[in-house]
Amino acid sequence: MKRALFGMFLFGYAALTSAAAPIEKIQGMLAKPSILCGRFDQTKQLAGMKKPLLSNGRFCVVAGKGVLWRTLQPFPDTLRLTRDEITHYQGDRVAMRLDAKQEPTVRMINSVLFSLLSGDLSQLDSLFETEGSADANSWRVALKARKPELAKAIGAISLEGGAYVKNITLNEASGDKTNIVFSAMQSGSAAMLPEEAALF
Amino acid sequence: MNYRKGYALAWVLVVVMLLAHNAYLWLDKRIVPDTDILALLPVQEQDPVLQQSFTHMVDAAQQRVIVLVGAADWQDAQRAADAYTAVLATRKDLLQGTDLSDQMQGDWLAKFQQHSLILLTAAQEAQLRQQAPQFWVDAARAKLYSAFSGPKLGAWRDDPFGLFSGWVQERAQETPVRPRDGHLFVANADKQYILLPLTLKVPAFSMGAQEAVMPLLAQATEAAHKAVPQAEVISSGVILHAAAASSQASAEISTIGLGSLIGIILLTWLTFRSIKPIALILLSIGIGCLGALSICWILFERVHLLTLVFGASLIGVAQDYGIYFLCNRLNADEKLDSASLLKRLMPGLSLTLLAAVIGYAGLALTPFPGLRQMALFSALGLIFAWLTVVFWFPSLISSGTLKSGALVQAYGATLARWPRLRMNKSSLIAVALFVVVAVIGFSRLGSNDDIRLLQNPPKHLINDQIKLGKLLDAPTPVQFFLVRGSSAEAVLQREEALKKRLDPLITARKISGYQAMSNWVPSEQTQNARRALLEEKLLRVGGPLEQLAVDIGEDKNWALATRAHLLESGSLLTMDAFLQSPASEPWRHLWLGQVNGVHASIVALRGLSFADLALMQGTAEGLEGVQWVDKVSEISSVLGRYRVYMGWVVAGAYLVVFCLLFPRYRSNTWRVLAPTALASIAALALLGITGQNVQLFHVLALMLLLGVGVDYGIFMQEHPDSRNTTPWLAVGLSAANTILSFGLLGLSRTPALQAFGLTMLFGIALVWTIVPCFRTEHVEQA
Repeated sequence: MKRALFGMFLFGYAALTSAAAPIEKIQGMLAKPSILCGRFDQTKQLAGMKKPLLSNGRFCVVAGKGVLWRTLQPFPDTLRLTRDEITHYQGDRVAMRLDAKQEPTVRMINSVLFSLLSGDLSQLDSLFETEGSADANSWRVALKARKPELAKAIGAISLEGGAYVKNITLNEASGDKTNIVFSAMQSGSAAMLPEEAALF
Repeated sequence: MNYRKGYALAWVLVVVMLLAHNAYLWLDKRIVPDTDILALLPVQEQDPVLQQSFTHMVDAAQQRVIVLVGAADWQDAQRAADAYTAVLATRKDLLQGTDLSDQMQGDWLAKFQQHSLILLTAAQEAQLRQQAPQFWVDAARAKLYSAFSGPKLGAWRDDPFGLFSGWVQERAQETPVRPRDGHLFVANADKQYILLPLTLKVPAFSMGAQEAVMPLLAQATEAAHKAVPQAEVISSGVILHAAAASSQASAEISTIGLGSLIGIILLTWLTFRSIKPIALILLSIGIGCLGALSICWILFERVHLLTLVFGASLIGVAQDYGIYFLCNRLNADEKLDSASLLKRLMPGLSLTLLAAVIGYAGLALTPFPGLRQMALFSALGLIFAWLTVVFWFPSLISSGTLKSGALVQAYGATLARWPRLRMNKSSLIAVALFVVVAVIGFSRLGSNDDIRLLQNPPKHLINDQIKLGKLLDAPTPVQFFLVRGSSAEAVLQREEALKKRLDPLITARKISGYQAMSNWVPSEQTQNARRALLEEKLLRVGGPLEQLAVDIGEDKNWALATRAHLLESGSLLTMDAFLQSPASEPWRHLWLGQVNGVHASIVALRGLSFADLALMQGTAEGLEGVQWVDKVSEISSVLGRYRVYMGWVVAGAYLVVFCLLFPRYRSNTWRVLAPTALASIAALALLGITGQNVQLFHVLALMLLLGVGVDYGIFMQEHPDSRNTTPWLAVGLSAANTILSFGLLGLSRTPALQAFGLTMLFGIALVWTIVPCFRTEHVEQA
């Protein structure tokens, strides 16, 4: 639905405006496959709630095309981001579609998200100050928004990974926290399930 | 004889004063003519509220220059825009950019977050009424688990159903412009643009300002192209149009004025074979122009550029008096001294001046301030030229100074062979033919009162304007709804009623959207209704919120706490609070506040096409306090009203001139007026036959035609003897000159001036041709 989107909208938009981490080293470590799919496990701790909210599903990052984010548990919910469009499916029903014509920031949001999921830190440089460390085969980066508006909207982001991004943590100013752990990564055209390929 | 010398000397004094005043105006005061085309339009009679709404919309637009710098690649666009702004930054006294950080600064959302509960879109309100509670549970759950719903407007619990973020998104859709990398950004399918809103620090209509700003903009564009060769620069602003109009008028004033002058000099020389008459005629015209300018400036403290353009054609009329005197001098007996000759010519001369001044007085009757100035300028010019002839010419031209050439003889001889109207077959056929042509022409005559007649902007400006309009999807400042009410609340309620009618038009793609204050601050009534709706549909006991708590494993207390948290942000948002917050900055112009005890606001439309203007009129119908305002059509209707009105003035002027002439010409008075009247009818018929529409400026030309054409009738009637070719020569010389001057006005690219010029061209040519046909018969027999 719209709000899920709007998050990203600000994510890209207020933001789009910004490094001191060993970016080159990290870039060298990343596998950067043309297609990357895997499982995610998400834990959300929201302000005013005792229990964390757990969900999991599959994701795909396809170079040059976009991102597919499929929540499978506790209920099916899919988000597809391409260059010119964001589509949200609740089950099989299209709950919302937003194209770049309507909302010019769609392209930017999508490119930021793509960069985040693929760990392409150089693309995020204009928006974030990066701070981090890297050893032989793992790295850790904290992103701090360059603009206060963006900081307010998305808070702090930290990424961990090796050849792939393995963990993303979002700490919002509002107190809501989200942690996403990636596992079972596969690359290459065989990584995508038929139903996923059908969506691209 | 002495008193005559006295007059001549007194006139020398007056002329010296004029010279001194003009020297002061041009050299010391350095006066600049006005170029504001709107100064030519009537001052609004009515409605202070309506007036204020225009001031709000139009005046704000006037000092704005909007520039888009675009390229296929965003980096290129930025480089080009930076190069562009770097040039502008050198002249902050002329153009000022908008500081983006200022605009983005301040947490504009904060104001709305305090009232987020009552901020809903129309679609959401409908969904709240229609959808089952499960819909809302699902929506909240989806949002809850969504990975990237995290970074947003606040915590999840501030907006669990996503209603507020939906509202904010709808507000964001009011403009396609987005901040990006510290710039304002807008894009279409093939290019990315940076928007540079500039504020003009100097008056848009001052020629001095235009001369400084236009080269600066050109220089900036050049810099942008140098930085990125394929960059596109689109600019728009009132000053661009004003500058184009001024340079066009300046070019025309020199062609028309100069062409007219060369024509006159050539003709005079061919006629009199002497330099002296040319010098004398130029003297009378020159004094006429200086006098007109001096007195116009004293009365109005300004002169419009179009007055001067129009004044350039005055040369064609002001010469008549000199020519008349000179032609008579040429043909008069050498024994007759010039003073006595003038005495004999006085009645005719006086009548020609009177008739012309009456013609111009007709112009002064219009409520257009610009036309009044033109009327005064012209009438004064004629009076000064006339006085120069009367006071100075007898002393300057003595008998025997002028000799006629072969051309004069040959031309004079044509008069004897010219057909004359009498009761015979050929005359009757001519009359019948004329009637048929006139009837056919009149039956096809339409009218056109489009305001675009006044201005004819160059094509590239129009193209830029269209492109900019498409990219920015901005509302037009000249067409909007004006909403009034006894209180701010009443105005907001009426806006909401109007918006209910506009929403289907958006669905039908007649408009792409609207801007209204009530989009941001709903009426109190609506705010209360929405809060009640939310409490009933979402927050009630056993409602979706409690259901959600069960789904995610939270208890009843959680639901109660969340409910209380949401209700905290349900207080009323007032217009005053909104107006004080920085978030209202881009919309404040829509709120007129209290004007003459009435509260008023503007609802502006985006993406309105010309074809749907009539539809909007209907939309406002039956809504109390809502009025569709269309400045363009209003001006057009004023032009139309005065076209009709001026038509009557022309008819009235014929009557007045007839009465003026009657004591002198008695039963032959009709012969003086008939050629001009017939030429006027023929000019209108010609318009009909060639499929052109009558506009105000044709009618104004007919008025002038009367003033000038009557001169010829008077000249001919003063000397009805066919063997005396003096009046025929005066008519020929004057008509040829007038055609030269007004014919050149027909070359103007301003449609209004062109219509004026062509009407005069055709009319004068016809008067010239038919005026001998109305000579009196008995004289010939005598």
